[in-house]
Amino acid sequence: MIRVPQWVAQHLAALRVVLVLTLTVGLLYPLAMTGVAQALFNHQADGSRLGEHGSELIGQDFLGRREYFQSRPSAAGDGYDPGATAAGNLGAESVVDTLPAPDGSREGKQSLLTQVCARSKEVGEREGVSGARPYCTGDGVGAVLGVFRADGLTGAATRVVSLNQACPAAPFVAVHEGVRVECATPGEDYAKALVVPIRGEVTKVMVPGDAVTVSGGGLDPHISVAYALLQAPRVARERGLNPADLRRLIDRNTTGRALGFLGEPGVNVLKLNLALDGKA
Amino acid sequence: MYGWFQALSILSLLLILHVPLGDYMAKALDGGRHLKVERALYRVCGVDPDREQDWRRYLLALVAFSTVGVAALFALFTTQGILPWSLGHGGMPWELALHAAVSFTTNTSWQNYAGESTTGHLAVMAGLGVQGVASGAVGMCAALALTRGLARRGGLGLGNFWVDLVRSVFRVFLPLAVVFGVALIAMGVQQNLDGAQTVNTLAGGTQTVIGGPVGSWEPIKLMTGDGGGFFNASSAHPFENPTALSNALQILIMLLVPTAFIRTFGRMTGNLKLGWTLLVVAGILFALLLTAGTLAQSATTGGTVAQAVGGQLEGTETRIGVPGSTLFGVAATASADGALNSSYDSFASLGGGVLLAAMMLGEIAPGGTGSGLYGLLMVVLVAVFLGGLMVGRTPEFLGKRIAFAEMRYVVLYSLVAPTMILGLTALAIALPAGRSSMGNAGAHGLTEILYAYTSNVNGNGSAMAGLNGNTVFYNLTMTLGMLVGRYLPIAFVLALAGRLVQQRPVAATAGTLRTQGVNFVVLATGGALILALLNFLPALALGPLADGLLG
Amino acid sequence: MAVETPVRPGSIDPETPQRRRIAAGLLDPRQFWQALPEALRKLDPRTMWRNPVMFVTEIGAVLTTWLAIRTPSGFGWLITAWLWLTVIFANLAEAIAESRGQAQADTLRRTRRQTTARRLGEERVWEAVPADRLRKGDVVAVEAGEIIPGDGDVIEGVASVDESAITGESAPVIRESGGDRCAVTGGTQVLSDRIVVRITQQPGESFLDRMIALVEGAKRQKTPNELALNLLLVALTFIFLVTTVTLQPMAIYSKEVMAAAPDTLAITGTGIAGIVLVALLVCLIPTTIGALLSAIGIAGMDRMVQRNVLAMSGRAVEAAGDVHTLLLDKTGTITFGDRQAHAFIPVGGTGAEDLAEAALLASLADKTPEGRSILALARQRTGTAHGAEVGGDWVPFSAATRMSGVDLGSRSLRKGAVAAVSAWVRGHGGAVPDELDGIVEAIATSGGTPLAVADQTRVLGVIQLKDVVKPGLPARFAEMRRMGIRTVMITGDNPVTAKAIAEEAGVDDFLAEATPEDKLALIKREQEGGRLVAMTGDGTNDAPALAQADVGVAMNTGTSAAKEAGNMVDLDSDPTKIVEIVEIGKQLLITRGALTTFSITNDIAKYFAILPAMFGGIYPGLAQLNIMQLNSPLSAILSAVIFNAIVIVALIPLALRGVRYRPSSASTLLTRNLWVYGLGGVITPFAAIKAIDLLVQFIPGIGS
Repeated sequence: MIRVPQWVAQHLAALRVVLVLTLTVGLLYPLAMTGVAQALFNHQADGSRLGEHGSELIGQDFLGRREYFQSRPSAAGDGYDPGATAAGNLGAESVVDTLPAPDGSREGKQSLLTQVCARSKEVGEREGVSGARPYCTGDGVGAVLGVFRADGLTGAATRVVSLNQACPAAPFVAVHEGVRVECATPGEDYAKALVVPIRGEVTKVMVPGDAVTVSGGGLDPHISVAYALLQAPRVARERGLNPADLRRLIDRNTTGRALGFLGEPGVNVLKLNLALDGKA
Repeated sequence: MYGWFQALSILSLLLILHVPLGDYMAKALDGGRHLKVERALYRVCGVDPDREQDWRRYLLALVAFSTVGVAALFALFTTQGILPWSLGHGGMPWELALHAAVSFTTNTSWQNYAGESTTGHLAVMAGLGVQGVASGAVGMCAALALTRGLARRGGLGLGNFWVDLVRSVFRVFLPLAVVFGVALIAMGVQQNLDGAQTVNTLAGGTQTVIGGPVGSWEPIKLMTGDGGGFFNASSAHPFENPTALSNALQILIMLLVPTAFIRTFGRMTGNLKLGWTLLVVAGILFALLLTAGTLAQSATTGGTVAQAVGGQLEGTETRIGVPGSTLFGVAATASADGALNSSYDSFASLGGGVLLAAMMLGEIAPGGTGSGLYGLLMVVLVAVFLGGLMVGRTPEFLGKRIAFAEMRYVVLYSLVAPTMILGLTALAIALPAGRSSMGNAGAHGLTEILYAYTSNVNGNGSAMAGLNGNTVFYNLTMTLGMLVGRYLPIAFVLALAGRLVQQRPVAATAGTLRTQGVNFVVLATGGALILALLNFLPALALGPLADGLLG
Repeated sequence: MAVETPVRPGSIDPETPQRRRIAAGLLDPRQFWQALPEALRKLDPRTMWRNPVMFVTEIGAVLTTWLAIRTPSGFGWLITAWLWLTVIFANLAEAIAESRGQAQADTLRRTRRQTTARRLGEERVWEAVPADRLRKGDVVAVEAGEIIPGDGDVIEGVASVDESAITGESAPVIRESGGDRCAVTGGTQVLSDRIVVRITQQPGESFLDRMIALVEGAKRQKTPNELALNLLLVALTFIFLVTTVTLQPMAIYSKEVMAAAPDTLAITGTGIAGIVLVALLVCLIPTTIGALLSAIGIAGMDRMVQRNVLAMSGRAVEAAGDVHTLLLDKTGTITFGDRQAHAFIPVGGTGAEDLAEAALLASLADKTPEGRSILALARQRTGTAHGAEVGGDWVPFSAATRMSGVDLGSRSLRKGAVAAVSAWVRGHGGAVPDELDGIVEAIATSGGTPLAVADQTRVLGVIQLKDVVKPGLPARFAEMRRMGIRTVMITGDNPVTAKAIAEEAGVDDFLAEATPEDKLALIKREQEGGRLVAMTGDGTNDAPALAQADVGVAMNTGTSAAKEAGNMVDLDSDPTKIVEIVEIGKQLLITRGALTTFSITNDIAKYFAILPAMFGGIYPGLAQLNIMQLNSPLSAILSAVIFNAIVIVALIPLALRGVRYRPSSASTLLTRNLWVYGLGGVITPFAAIKAIDLLVQFIPGIGS
């Protein structure tokens, strides 16, 4: 018998173990699980389908159609694309936009704050309420000033720019620290300005937070109860429904906290809209 | 309030469950008879299950297994296009395939690709599924060897790698996977072999719903410290994590095996008190992280955007909510599991810093399967060394002396992660190739890079996904980070075990440093915090701290 | 400066163990000045690299010097100066520790000079050779007034020897051939008579040589724990080096993205200023313990030597701290060497007075300590003061009769072993009372030795001799128990006697009727159970056990074989000193551990000083971390560097003295040291850096 070196022997053993694991863990286990799952929990295993209308777990884009409740904004592809699930991945201090060049030579990039402000404005307009939020300008961008100071980070303000408001927009404040606020010129380098978000005077926010933010995967099937209630008058109006009936429908499609304390309550938008269409 | 109640209930359940599982694992993994099936399996693989291996041979087997694992995955990923069940996805480019292969073999499972658009069912089941379980088992093997090094009273043998591997897979992971898989499927996780299906949406658009064996993958991803998503969104995807209840279960699954392993350690060393003490240390660290994370994630401290929104809702799923996301994030990063149910990139800056800190601690609270235990033991050994000197004795742990030869491996172990993480981060931040991948500007961009290498080197796999890792630079540097960050420490752990096992334990007396009680817990916890975090503080200051204290 | 009275050897008062402290010599401020030249000499990189932490510091100092020359600034020069001071302070600590041993070494060395020996040559004639040419096995003759040329055993003659040169004890000792008092040490002086000595040492390896090497400390080998600790320090240094170096690209990036931030002395577009980066590094690496580590080791050996204990290696000193089991010979260690009369127990109706008188008379000629103790007790009982003036025929003790006594007219008094006396009485036709057996049994059980007293046909009674346990020992042993050390008494007595004495002395266990083989077996058994064993011994038959024990302390009065076998020699030949040796060993480790902990925990405060100073100018938010409210970035960095240097000097006395040690359990020790040095290490620098900052802010160009 030929004695193979130890390291060769171990690699041969490794190869065989990997093969065995591939057959058992890699094929036998998932296929068996599929069999069991299909037999015991057929509905769930097949993706909790709602007939031909998709899955009750996967949110859908209702394309702004006014007779439907709208889902949250989504970062999955062009919105609710299961083939490209994603979050926005912008950080908590993403407040300064890259403004697009007016001639189209350079694409802009909205900061998270401006995205939030823009969505808030849009939802507010859609639902007929104020879309104002803290740190947002009236025209739906982040209320952020770039303050140039005499000594860099300190000293008197020498120049103030409203960073997210491209000229010729009127800055959301006229004067800051005694200096006239300018609108921002796309392409100009404001790196030397100190970024100062301005909270503003807004105290009552009408548009709920989930209406202005994307979810973790971009397929969130739920909206908050508050967002549903905000949309209810519009949907009722569009469909000519009794607000109280609609309210009941919302309640019926609201998932409470699991076991009473896990997670958060949410309204399943697809199921609610299916119910509205009488397809549930 | 609900958030704390949720955390307490999950952790209480964990506390209850870890005892029987830990006891079972001690019995199932160490000693006892081989089952008939196992004997057959060993015969097929040409392995003698009753042959004890010294540390060198044990390491050789471990490295051989991992090498073959990387090669097999690499082959699978690059040739996916011509294999069945590919769902039409082609093979990966070589650098991505290499990164992905190393990523899953090293139990990191950082993905520089989106699952739904890159891997078919075969790659997930026979590729990720196998290496997910196997890599978790490899961590358990190293920890078992170290435990034996501490528990045995002489000789050279640390056990047999192949036996430890096979038992970890078939006696621990697979049975648990079946139980948790069925439970998750019952809650709504899908389990089929369908491909993509286009449906007409209610509003008149179309949507492509992607099927797949998610239910069998999910417990593996969570339990083994793996964490890679079937889908890009991982546990934020409703098919992976459909309800608040499944979210709670997923958190439990992530923490369960590593926590139970602490109990297993107590059983195997015949010192359950020490097991409890280690659990308390891990528990305190976890509680600190969770508290810090929760405070950072609150609406009032969460930064400009959170205040504009009225809560840390960006990147958070409605059904899970902010507390469920924070708890999940802390549990994932503290347990070496790369899963995510929300966008860590959009966490409050300091909240993201907490996740970083959880990984920088060395993922010891409770850490990955096995790797958490040996990581914790390494920190404890440094604490024991200082504590031992402070009570006027040559330091000893479980009766084994921690002298020069032993300290050598402890020290080398603790050098690897900081050196790799900081070195690679500095390299990336200095090079245009590194900077151009940032998804955010300023300090947050630096945080993304720091997070990426921390996650890769420590084998976590969670991501601040704004960073585009799928470039040649990142694929290769991350691959290097993962390989060095995983196998060098394991080599040191095994070498240490090899030294320890030869020692006859020293008797314990009133003059021996007691490895229990308030003092020891303070020493070990303080040691972990100070030794593990001090060297990262400057980098953290320029990343999440600068970002979070901007106002 | 804390100063403690040095404890003279032998002055340990066993009565009050709670007040006992391990103390070292005085630390005179003048020593700082005297050690300064040596400290500067040690700046030589070839010396420095042995201490990696301080070597890195020195490289840092060189770097900042270069930077300060290139772009001079007050701040740069101040930092540079304090970095050099840091290195010098570290060298100073070592130099002071060494200089304290140096004086002792010089005295010792003087004794070695110009000795000539008379060696027995090839042709059996005496020839004169220099002492340093003697080899092992040579035979030399030494006469009164001469210095013994080397370590050896007396093979012929008896002499009184003055060993004060090495023991400091002025009373001469007797050395004679054969038995356990045959070893002589080189450098000691013969006072009377002439002895012939066989040399047992190779040239340059005498006790004197070893002692000099030990107290000098220069060629000191690092002990195992010290090596392990050094490893940890090197690792920490490496990690912080990585931290500092990798910080630079991150700082450059940060400065770039915060373009509004103006350049400062600390940071510009090209990154953190080199001087600041070096300052950060030096503050983070464990300079405090790195600077003091070797001084602690030298001082520990010094403390041993001060107690007249000569350890063959530092390893042995450390092992002493780890001891689990302490083997103690009963005689001479636990009890006074001799038994003493404790009581007279009359039998058969004899009056107590009569028995005492008979015992007195029978012992008048007995010059043994036992005999003297019988006399003393009898005189006390009878109130008389009989002396040798009483006539009579003295019957001396002989191994055959096993009794002694006096024939005094009609009386024939004998005292001796009960069996022998009983037989003698029966031989004279007398009878032995039945009660005798019971009394003898009772005495033996209580750990005493019975001696019968008889007058021809009549057994008068029994003298109870008893071992007397040295006062204070039970308290001492209780202390050992708290430290986790098990004490085992070794005795040749029978188990019953041994048990009684063991109980009285408070030892944990005893080995009765012990032969040298039993002793060796006991040590091996203990070691197999994972316990470290310490023992003292002096006889040649102790040598195997001494060699087997982890800590074997040989008595200086013992044989060369014993001294060779052990790893320590107690020059005072005080068997109880092993307790102190254990304490010194522990204190040595505790000092290292405590100062390391202190050094590491210091880093927290230093971060809070330096991080906001470096980066507050880029990210104003990070200035919030300046919780000490330090005056300016430059004053903050300078204060941290100054603290880092001054703390070394402040801790030199502690390093030399060792941290406070009181024998107690590990938990108590950990509690104390963890809170004092761990928590203290966190808090102290906050206060100290703030205080320094309050001063340095007045330096022009530093404060804001």
